[in-house]
Amino acid sequence: MSRGNLLISAILWFVVALFVIYPLSFLIIESFKIAGTDRYGLQNYIDFFKDPYYLKTFANTLLLGVLVLATTTMVGLPLAYILARYRLKGKVIFTALILLPIVLPAYAGAFALIVFFGKMGTVNLLLMDWGLISKPINFVFGLHGLVFIQSLHLLPFIVLSLSAGFTNIDPSLEEAAEVEGAGGFKRFLTVTLPLTSPNYLAGAVIVFLWPFTDWLTPLIFGQIDFLPSISYINIAYHFTDMHRKYMGIVSVVVSSVICVGIFLASKTWVERKKYTALSKGTTLEGRIIEPGLLTKASSYAYMFFIAILVLLIPVVLGLSAFSRRWVLQPFPSYWTLDNFRLILLETPALLKNSFLFSGVALIFGVAFGLPAAYLITRTKVPGKDTLDFVITLMLAFPGIAVGVSYLLAFWEGIPLATHWIIMPLSLFVRRLPYFLRMAHASYLQLDVSLEEASEVSGASKMKTFFNISLPLLLKGVFVGLVMFFIMAFQEISTAIFLYRGGWETLPIGIYLNWHRGMEFGIAGAMAFLMVVIIFILLLIVARIGGGILGAAWGSSGGRY
Amino acid sequence: MVAVNHINLEIEKGEMLTLLGPSGCGKTTTLRCIAGLEKPDGGDILIDGRPMFSKGFVPPSQREIGMVFQNYAVWPHLRVFDNVAYGLKLQKLPKSVIREKVTEALESVGLTGLGRRYPGQLSGGQQQRVALARALVRNPKVLLLDEPLSNLDAKLREKMRFEIKSLVRRMHMTAVYVTHDQAEAMVISDRIAVMETGNIVQVGVPEEIYKKPANRFVADFIGTTNFIPGEIMEVPKDRDMVHVKTEFGQKMLCKVFDSATVAADQKVHVSIRPEDIEVFTKPPEGRHNLFKGIIQYRAYLGNFLYFFVNVDSTMIRVQVAYDVRQKEGEEIFLFLDPEKCIGLS
Repeated sequence: MSRGNLLISAILWFVVALFVIYPLSFLIIESFKIAGTDRYGLQNYIDFFKDPYYLKTFANTLLLGVLVLATTTMVGLPLAYILARYRLKGKVIFTALILLPIVLPAYAGAFALIVFFGKMGTVNLLLMDWGLISKPINFVFGLHGLVFIQSLHLLPFIVLSLSAGFTNIDPSLEEAAEVEGAGGFKRFLTVTLPLTSPNYLAGAVIVFLWPFTDWLTPLIFGQIDFLPSISYINIAYHFTDMHRKYMGIVSVVVSSVICVGIFLASKTWVERKKYTALSKGTTLEGRIIEPGLLTKASSYAYMFFIAILVLLIPVVLGLSAFSRRWVLQPFPSYWTLDNFRLILLETPALLKNSFLFSGVALIFGVAFGLPAAYLITRTKVPGKDTLDFVITLMLAFPGIAVGVSYLLAFWEGIPLATHWIIMPLSLFVRRLPYFLRMAHASYLQLDVSLEEASEVSGASKMKTFFNISLPLLLKGVFVGLVMFFIMAFQEISTAIFLYRGGWETLPIGIYLNWHRGMEFGIAGAMAFLMVVIIFILLLIVARIGGGILGAAWGSSGGRY
Repeated sequence: MVAVNHINLEIEKGEMLTLLGPSGCGKTTTLRCIAGLEKPDGGDILIDGRPMFSKGFVPPSQREIGMVFQNYAVWPHLRVFDNVAYGLKLQKLPKSVIREKVTEALESVGLTGLGRRYPGQLSGGQQQRVALARALVRNPKVLLLDEPLSNLDAKLREKMRFEIKSLVRRMHMTAVYVTHDQAEAMVISDRIAVMETGNIVQVGVPEEIYKKPANRFVADFIGTTNFIPGEIMEVPKDRDMVHVKTEFGQKMLCKVFDSATVAADQKVHVSIRPEDIEVFTKPPEGRHNLFKGIIQYRAYLGNFLYFFVNVDSTMIRVQVAYDVRQKEGEEIFLFLDPEKCIGLS
């Protein structure tokens, strides 16, 4: 054990202790505080679980999770099978399109949906113009709208994890079933599907837990009776009513416990059931089928349908971005660049802040992630598995938990919250595992003997890292960088608690514009701008990462 | 690219036939065509007189075959018992019958009592046995084995060869076995079909393949042999012996299996196996095919000696069963028995 490794370990632990464990402990301690006194007790939790309103909210959140999971599974299963197994032209483009929602913020999609499907939205207006209906149909406001938009946003997780499962199955396992007499659907049910279950579960957990972390989308649809939304409202608006504030904090803790609990349970189950490790000599490509004419046609139709739904979001955002006063008309009639003038010239701070905060967060991420990946994959420092575990847990923590605990922890004592550095810091902590995972995966693919050869040739560990490891890791690391940046760029659930005047980012700008009841146009233009920026970043990743892209997402959904 | 080209092969009932060849020769493709996992471009495949492929196509699930895959393909999510019972359940047999048959099959491959285990809890050899039991339990019309032993270690591989052979014999099963290991093929097969680049070059019982190889490829692939390049000088009538002028300038006699197909001036390779060469320290009188050489390298392999002998720059491998004192660099005389020298084109 070298001293250097111990030093790295100590520094990383210090960072984790200060920026993860310390603030989260505040959250937990605060949740036991009894309103109006200095005492601590279980009273808040008892109140929470006795209050029919919070119980109903809790049940609503669970129900939303179940519905979203059911929808994404039903829609995603055939899609994943098509993408993984059929030889079809243009599959790459469809895959890219269908995966797009993963990087589009859910709230941006929600805006688009309201503009298009809302009570006075395009579809209703057209239907009324044509005389098909007399009163507008409520397409989106309510549970069904939430299920729709969250399903659309989360579909890629299910599709990615399932198609990774379908691809990874050793073809001979299915051939053996065929030889044994199981044709077609029977084979799918008895062999293919069960073998995919670990992959499916990894994606399903992310989908199921989403409603426990997304507070903004329900609010946009006029729904507050969900745990994260009510937490947000209680904490952000009720600093005077201490009881409601504590109820909010308890909601956050309850959500966090559920998220971490389910996450850990599924992780153990997946680890126990790792099927792929069993068979030797598998083929790389998996099983690809030449589809029949009918299968081909319906596959294309299905992919087109999903792609159109997905594309609806940027198209509608674009329409509203380049127009004004798009009200009570199916399509905008007054075209202008005014929205962009407002954003770029009058409030350029939003864009500047977004880039600055995400950029600084990225530097933190690299400075932490690379040594951490090295430590976890290449050394035997005691406690490195615990470190890996703690960092990985951050994947499950709701963003709102990070935001609230930072607010609680960094006012007095360590008054970081008075400086803008708190913004990138919280972004960095929130996405802690992303970069680490990517660097970790690249490290695992890098043969140790390449590094050993360098050391044998006389290079120090440090020299080896910079001369050999880093250049070889670069591709994976770069993809990790951009993905991290994208995630930080669209982050709102943490930032909303911490921003002060002058620190607004683009997502916060979107939220404020919607919240203050201003025109959708500006919010739409901001969202459109964000989608464009993210899309450009994504193209860069795809260009460099190629196959890694899917693999990386697959593993962020697939492995943990 | 043609993986398999015009194959014509008939397998007898109860026979174990091996498709033998180097990797990429099309043996696995042939097997997969029999299984129905791949479709040939043309031709006929019949199993037990029933057409599987000609104009129509019978899917693998309807062919009543059993197959053992190279990587076992034991389903990791099912217990050993359920793996073996899979096909029987699809036939909708009564539970008691299934239980009986599976128990019997597991017993026959030596896995009694392991039915409740998951494949992940078994060793590679045991998984192999599960695959075998699964393939045999339905009493298939043909048993197909695709390099089933290639993932096992050397000791276990040797043991399993005999076990598979005796098991298949005992059940009077018709079987097609694919391997690239010629020693395995010799042990396990009733007949061997040697394949080269998509074609079957020779079919025969192991001894015939070894002693009467059809061409240079077969002679080289099965066992070890020496090739002495040369040119036919004359073909005596009514004899299957020919005179060959070797490249190193000496004459030698060798056998050809069909004297009608060879003619003077034709280039040939004379093949003789290392164990068929006799060595002498002093040249015996009145023998053909006697060559003088220098021992280049001498290796002791326990049950025999191995010499690399340089005869006018042609290296000849010789296997000697008894102790010969001659050292490296010394002279030795080789007698290449004309009866065992085979001229191959």
